[in-house]
Amino acid sequence: MTRFRLLVSEALHSIRSNLSTTVAAMMTVFIGMFLLGVCIALGSWMVSWSNHTKKEIVVHVYFCASETCDKPATNEQKAQTQVRINEINSQGLIKSFKYVSKEEAWKIMQHDNPDLTRGLRGTNPLPDAYKITPTRGEDAGKIATLLKNPPLEGVQNISYNKKVSERVLKVAKVIEFSFLLMVMILLVASTALIANTIRLSIFSRRREIEVMKLVGATNWFVRLPFMLEGLICGFGGAILAVILLSITKVVAMPALNLDFNAGSDVHAWPFALTSFLMVLTGLVLGAIGTGITLRRFLQV
Amino acid sequence: MTPAQDVDLDTQNPSALPAPDAAATVSAGAMIVCHGVTKLYDPNVLALDNVSFQIDKGEFVFIVGASGSGKSTLIRLLLKEMEPTRGTIIVGGRDISRLRPSRVSQLRRNIGCVFQDFKLLPNRSAAENVAYALNVQGESHQNIRRKVPEVLSLVGLVDKMDSLPNQLSGGEQQRVSIARAFVNHPPLLVCDEPTGNLDPDTSVGIMQLLYSINRTGTTILVVTHDREMVDKMRRRVIALEDGKIARDERRGGYSSQ
Repeated sequence: MTRFRLLVSEALHSIRSNLSTTVAAMMTVFIGMFLLGVCIALGSWMVSWSNHTKKEIVVHVYFCASETCDKPATNEQKAQTQVRINEINSQGLIKSFKYVSKEEAWKIMQHDNPDLTRGLRGTNPLPDAYKITPTRGEDAGKIATLLKNPPLEGVQNISYNKKVSERVLKVAKVIEFSFLLMVMILLVASTALIANTIRLSIFSRRREIEVMKLVGATNWFVRLPFMLEGLICGFGGAILAVILLSITKVVAMPALNLDFNAGSDVHAWPFALTSFLMVLTGLVLGAIGTGITLRRFLQV
Repeated sequence: MTPAQDVDLDTQNPSALPAPDAAATVSAGAMIVCHGVTKLYDPNVLALDNVSFQIDKGEFVFIVGASGSGKSTLIRLLLKEMEPTRGTIIVGGRDISRLRPSRVSQLRRNIGCVFQDFKLLPNRSAAENVAYALNVQGESHQNIRRKVPEVLSLVGLVDKMDSLPNQLSGGEQQRVSIARAFVNHPPLLVCDEPTGNLDPDTSVGIMQLLYSINRTGTTILVVTHDREMVDKMRRRVIALEDGKIARDERRGGYSSQ
């Protein structure tokens, strides 16, 4: 216990003796860890949102109506369409499908967009349709192709909302990649700064190291205070980042009116898990930075 | 004065040092044996050239010689700060060239070191400087509290325990350094120019202190330029010249007679 206390006091003594570089290293870790935290939160939210979006992808088969085609689809044509849907369903590609009549579609639109329906003044331009939910969101395109080839008579249009989601996901991926790149650069910078801090620390304490070696301190006794110093740097920076991230979550996001509510099943990783990962990364950075320097500059 | 431990390096830390080279002839009473020791620095600077000598337990030996004669190299080899290019160095009956790096600390715990520049930690008091040596060796708090005043009273500084090095005179600082080196009662004390920064009167006090430590059974090896002191004490003198032993006299002076 006495020995542990001595090691801790040596590490604190070392931190005090070159406070400015220690603070600089801690601040870099802090920024790096904060961005890492944001990246984890945003990244996990995006993955969750993308899964949610995939679940919401549906294929619509719109039948011809008097407003959109020369002649509206006949019952026979609709039955043929259902036969085709059943065929596709037998391949396991479809989770569920439903016939939505013109009237039902109007009711849904009245509910979802009352202003729009009011503007139409009682005219219902919506066609009869089939709403098909794929088993997997990715199969929406395949289902649409199978419905189109060979073309079905009486069908005006087959559409699915995958393109929109793909575009959004592409943008999300670019943002995520930029964040990750920034995080990587900051992690490397943090490691280099911790390594430099420890190097300065070794230099400022060279007399103590010399005396330690002369009086028979073991290699680990000489190294451990520096290891502790590096870990304190990493841990301190990460803790500051966790504090800032929680302030951002609790105070800044509501104040800026940033609403990430895209559905009840869309959410980022739990805050506790993100915080744990940040602290762990901070500690790993501290250990790597110190390890590099001790190997190169502390011959005991 | 507390007598130096009756044991040698061998029995203090039997596992710390490897077995002696069977080829080297070592007498049971030898503390240091150098056998054909050569040290070559890059590029081709010969610091020690085939040096052989034996120092027995309890001896008081001066190593003298001009600057660059190889005295400091010899000390660094004894402390295993570097390796000889050739030859064997046996300390306390064990060949230190076979010592694993992890065991070097054990060797150094059995060799007290005193230097010309004292090597004290400036921001720690005299007592803390002495306690530091015990702390790094993992000594218990209770033992440290007992041993530190004891050894500081031995060197005559019990009333200056709380003084920082810059509040002490050169002689007092060297006494603290000796106290730190002797606090564990090592069987061997190596002193590199212990009076180099001190005036003649203070030097006499330091030598008297080393002599009294020697009388407890501790082997003392003093590297010095202090002609007056060597001539006064008439102890064994090993003179080095250009890395070779020029003279080894039982009761010698600084210069050859």
